[in-house]
Amino acid sequence: MAETIIETNGLTRSYGDICALKPLDLQVPEGEWLSVMGHSGSGKSTLMNLVGGLDRPSDGSLRVGGEDLLALSEDGLARFRREFVGIIFQQHHLIPYLTAVENVMMAQYFHSVPDEAEARTALERVGLGHRLKNRPGELSGGEQQRVCIARAIINSPKLLLGDEPTGNLDNKSTIMVMELLKELRAEERFTVIMVTHNQEVAAWGDRTIYLDDGVLVREERMNS
Amino acid sequence: MVALKLIPHLLSWAGILLVLLRGYSERRSVVMKTSITGFTGGVAGAIILFRTFPETIPFGSIKTALAVSFFLLWVFSVAAVYSSTARRVPISRRGRFVNTSLCAGAVAFLAGMVAGAICTCRFPATASNTLTFIVLVLAAGALAYALVFCVRIIERLLPPSFTVSPSGMLIAVVAFLLFSSSSILRLDLFSPLSMKVMKGIHDFVHQFMESILIPDHLFVRSVVWKYIGILFSKGVGFWGGMVIWFTPAFLIVLAVNFERLPSVAHIRQGAQRRKLLAAAIKARRHRLVIPLLSVVILAAAAYQSSFPSTEYWDPKPIPISANQSGEIIIPKKGEVNLEDGKLHKYLFKQGDREARFFIMVTPEGQLTVDLDACAICKPDGYGQAEGSVICYYCKTLIPLETVGKPGGCNPVPVVFSVKGDNVAINGMTLINTWGSTVQATTRVKEGGK
Ligand SMILES: Nc1ncnc2c1ncn2[C@@H]1O[C@H](COP(=O)(O)OP(=O)(O)OP(=O)(O)O)[C@@H](O)[C@H]1O
Ligand SMILES: [Mg+2]
Repeated sequence: MAETIIETNGLTRSYGDICALKPLDLQVPEGEWLSVMGHSGSGKSTLMNLVGGLDRPSDGSLRVGGEDLLALSEDGLARFRREFVGIIFQQHHLIPYLTAVENVMMAQYFHSVPDEAEARTALERVGLGHRLKNRPGELSGGEQQRVCIARAIINSPKLLLGDEPTGNLDNKSTIMVMELLKELRAEERFTVIMVTHNQEVAAWGDRTIYLDDGVLVREERMNS
Repeated sequence: MVALKLIPHLLSWAGILLVLLRGYSERRSVVMKTSITGFTGGVAGAIILFRTFPETIPFGSIKTALAVSFFLLWVFSVAAVYSSTARRVPISRRGRFVNTSLCAGAVAFLAGMVAGAICTCRFPATASNTLTFIVLVLAAGALAYALVFCVRIIERLLPPSFTVSPSGMLIAVVAFLLFSSSSILRLDLFSPLSMKVMKGIHDFVHQFMESILIPDHLFVRSVVWKYIGILFSKGVGFWGGMVIWFTPAFLIVLAVNFERLPSVAHIRQGAQRRKLLAAAIKARRHRLVIPLLSVVILAAAAYQSSFPSTEYWDPKPIPISANQSGEIIIPKKGEVNLEDGKLHKYLFKQGDREARFFIMVTPEGQLTVDLDACAICKPDGYGQAEGSVICYYCKTLIPLETVGKPGGCNPVPVVFSVKGDNVAINGMTLINTWGSTVQATTRVKEGGK
C-alpha cells in the first residue's frame, strides 16, 4: 500500500457567499493518477489551486506530501510550490517573447539556477528537440502543451497537476500528450491529478472523482 | 568623559568579536576565552609600557603592530586571489591550519590585545600607582567579559546561512583595528601612508631629474612640467594612499567572488543538483558581506584619519595689527595666556600683504614665535597634537621641544623680543619672512615654473 500524498479533511473554500468547495474529504495515495470531472463551476479548479498551494482553504485540513499547507508561511508555501508541484493549465501561460528552451529555463531559475543543457534534454524528452529555439507563437497547440509539460516536470515535482491541459487540443494531439504524460510518470513516478471534461481523457487515470457544486458526488475506479 | 571616548574603540572590538565568533562557529569557546585574555593583556601591557618608557615607545609599538597586520592583510589578500583563481585547489595545508583552534585562539588573542592597547592609548597617563593599575586591569577584564557575552547574544540572532570566510575574518579584524586606531593621531596609519606615497613619488621624480633623463628644453619646461607638476600635488599622496589602503579589501572581495563552487556533477537528478548549486552560490554571496562591509569601515578609517581633531588643537588665527612704529605688541597675559603651553595663532595684515604666525611656550619654558608655515610645504599651517605640533599639509608631527628651531618641516622661526610683559615683533620683518618662505614653497608646489 502506497503512502498517502494528499489528505484533506473537511476542506472548504468559499468566496464570500459562494461556497466553491463544500467540506471535502479526499485521500490520494502516492503515485496515483486521479482524474477530476464535473460540470463547469463545480469547483475543480478550486480544488487544484488548494492542493497546489496557489490558494488557501477557508476551513478544514490539507496535508500534501507530509506538509500541513495551512501551517506554512507565505515563504514556505512558495518553497512548496517550487519544489513539490508542477502545474499544467489549459492556457499554456508560456512567456511569448522567450524561446521554448528559455521558457523551461525560467522555471529552473525560479527553482534554483538555470541549466540550459538540462532544459534541452527535457524538451528532447517531450519530443521537441527540433523546436528548441522557437517562440510559443511559432508552435502548435500540442507542441505548446508539451513545452508546458517539460516546464512542469523540470524541477522533478512529486505532484503533477493538470487543469484541463488537453482542453484546447484535437484528438490526435490529446492522445500524444496523454501518452507522453504516461511515459514520464512511469519514469519519474510522480502523482498526477488531472481535471478534464473528456471521459476518454479521464479514462487514462486510475480513479475518477466527480464534483458537483463543490461536493464529491461519485468516484469510479478504472481497471486498466 | 573618558568612558565616552572609549565607545568607538569598544564597538570596533565588538565588531571583531562578532566576525570571529561567526567565522569560528565551531570554536566559539576558544575565541571567547582568548579574546577576553587578549584584551585584558593588551590593556595591562600597554599601561606597563606607558609607565616604563617614554610615550613614543608604546605608541610606536602599537602602531608597528597595526602596520604589520596591514602588511599581512596584503600578503593574505594576494594569496587569496591566487588560490581562488588557480585551476585546481587541493585543500591546502594553510586552509587546514586556519581552521584549528590554535589559529582561532591566536587571532582572537592578538586582535583583543591590540584592541585593548588602543583603548589604553586614549588615556595614556592614568595608572600612576600599582593600586590603580590593578583596578584598571580588573575593570578591563570585567568589561571584556561583559562585552564578549553581549556580542555572543547578538551573534545568535544572525541568520545561520550567514558565514564568514577566513579572508573575510582577516579583513574585518584589520579594518576594525584600523578604524579604532585612526582616531588617535599617533596611531593613525593612513596619513603617514599617504605621506610616504607622496614622498616616494617626489623622490622618484627627483631622481629622474637628477639623472637628466628629462632634457632641459623650453618645451619640456612649459608642457611636460605641467603634467609632472601633478605628481607634486597633495592629491597624489592621498590617492596613492587610497589605492594601497583599499586594494587588499578589493582583492579579497574578488577572491570570494571567484571562489570555486563545490562540484555537484555527481548528483544525477537535475533539480537536486541545481538546488545544491543555488545554495552554494547563496552562501558565497553571503560571504561577500563582511569584505564589502570592511571596505566601508576602511573608508571610515581613512576619513577619520584626516580629522583626528578630537586630539589636536586647531586655533583660529586672531587678526592683529601693528602700532605706529610698525611693531606688533602682544601681552603675554592679555586676552589669551601665551604661556599656557598651547599654540596661539595670529593673522597680521599690512595693506594687501598678510602673514600668519603663532606664539607658544615649549615644555622647556622657552617662548617662541614662528611662521604658520615651513620651508618645505604649502603653507597650510600647523595644529597642535599631544606633545607635538602637526603640519596640516604633510601631517608630519614635530615634537614641541624642537619648535622654534629652524629646518625641515619645522615652522620657520621669527625674530622677536620680549619687552616687559609683552612680546614684540617687527611687522615688516614678519611680512618679508612670510613672503620669501611662501614664495619658495609655492614654487616647489607648482613644479618649478
Ligand atoms: N476568485 C474567485 N472569486 C469569486 N468566485 C470564484 C473565484 N474563483 C472561483 N469562483 C467561483 O467558484 C466556483 C467554482 O469555480 P471553479 O473555477 O473551481 O470551477 P471549475 O469546476 O474549474 O469550472 P470550469 O470547468 O469552468 O473550469 C464558481 O462558481 C466560480 O464562480
Ligand atoms: Mg476550471
